Amino acid sequence: MHPELVRTSQNLTPVVSDAVVQKMGPLWQCRILVVDDDELIRAHLVAVLKLAGYDVYEAGSGEDALRVLSTAPCQIILTDWQMADMDGLSLCRNVRLKDDEGYVYVLMLTVRGTKRDVLVGLSAGADDYIVKGAPVEEILARLEVGRRITQLESSLRISNQENGRLSVTDPLTAAHNRRFLIRNLPRELERARRYEHPLAVLSCDIDRFKRVNDRYGHEAGDETLKTFVMRSAGCIRESTDWIVRIGGDEFVLILPETTLDGASSVANKLCQLLAAQPIKTIGGPLFVTVSIGVTAVETTDELASISVVELLRAADRCLYISKTLGRNRVTAASAACTSP
Amino acid sequence: MEKAKYWQGVSPTPVTSEDPFDELRDLFFARLRTDRVHLLALGTALACCEGDPAYPLEKIKLFAHRLRGGAAIFETPDIGDAANILEEAAALAAIVHADRSDASVRTALDSLLNKLAIANGRPHRVDTGPEGLLPRRFKG
Repeated sequence: MHPELVRTSQNLTPVVSDAVVQKMGPLWQCRILVVDDDELIRAHLVAVLKLAGYDVYEAGSGEDALRVLSTAPCQIILTDWQMADMDGLSLCRNVRLKDDEGYVYVLMLTVRGTKRDVLVGLSAGADDYIVKGAPVEEILARLEVGRRITQLESSLRISNQENGRLSVTDPLTAAHNRRFLIRNLPRELERARRYEHPLAVLSCDIDRFKRVNDRYGHEAGDETLKTFVMRSAGCIRESTDWIVRIGGDEFVLILPETTLDGASSVANKLCQLLAAQPIKTIGGPLFVTVSIGVTAVETTDELASISVVELLRAADRCLYISKTLGRNRVTAASAACTSP
Repeated sequence: MEKAKYWQGVSPTPVTSEDPFDELRDLFFARLRTDRVHLLALGTALACCEGDPAYPLEKIKLFAHRLRGGAAIFETPDIGDAANILEEAAALAAIVHADRSDASVRTALDSLLNKLAIANGRPHRVDTGPEGLLPRRFKG
């Protein structure tokens, strides 16, 4: 506890020890928004919180607070109840209605102290309620609760996001996995239908990949797969196109808003790029080739009639033709033409 | 009251100090002076109100509420208590028939003005009698 804090509250008894402050951990990450229409109260609270190590913002009404929050997200709001314009209750309700990332912990600080007031405050969305006149230490202790909760929520949210990302990512190559394809290709096809834009699919298979593994070991095989993904990424648009590792040495590239001709160009470029440069592996430089099947849906009729499964099968049929014709080549056909 | 010592024999402007909290407290006590004047004006407005007193009562209620909040933060419980009583009296007077609540509003207003005067370091000189500053509505 900063000694200055003690001076402000002459009726404080024990001072929070430095050890307790140290346990509270770094507060720099926690941003608090102080909302009160009385500028002196606001200034007092801001001074107290800054001394306690918080990053503090301030607002003079609920509307001001929402404006501040839209530009500077805060983890904790310390708000008065009764204010001109938007009061603390409306602010709470508005904060709870917002769909922003990250939980906002709301602590109401008001002179209204009846049981009913507390219940009304909490039911409006406040997480905690404290009556003005409470010792500074109590306010800080309750804010610390809020800091812990928001920190925990933040770490859980980040962890969930990371888990979500990992669940749709191939750990070896960092390409997307089959789950991602199953989830997103239907959306991509639906989007193509809605806007009547073409959609292309490349089905790729590294030629004689089993031999790489057998002759040079799995490590060399892994390096081959990683290099394939890296080189594929260099041939497609980062923002719209995506690569999926279906399994083993099979990959699918999804190219939204791309015609059959455009997708064929990409496939040929990839084919040439892979064959032209050896892949550096632990077993030495390896020359690897790829067979690619390309398909696309372009017309309104094609878009309306084809399913995700049929689209993938069409690309696979083209791939099969490439393999049959001697590998290291591209076979392209519209989805309608490849129907059995 | 302990905090009143800030303003006994005071200069017209608040004394600034190195301590931000002292400075804020000084500003608070300086504001209490204007608050007192403001409150007197609100009392006069209520007393002179010819029709429905709901509006001046609401203004008094809000003003008392603000004073209450400041008093709680800056640890002036006498003013906070008096402001609380005035806020409740004004709220009640606005709900029930005003005639029945005039006395309680008058008493609460007078008490708060007294506390503010003490905080400002001078005796309260408001005449609340029949010909005073708060004449008609507060005849009781």
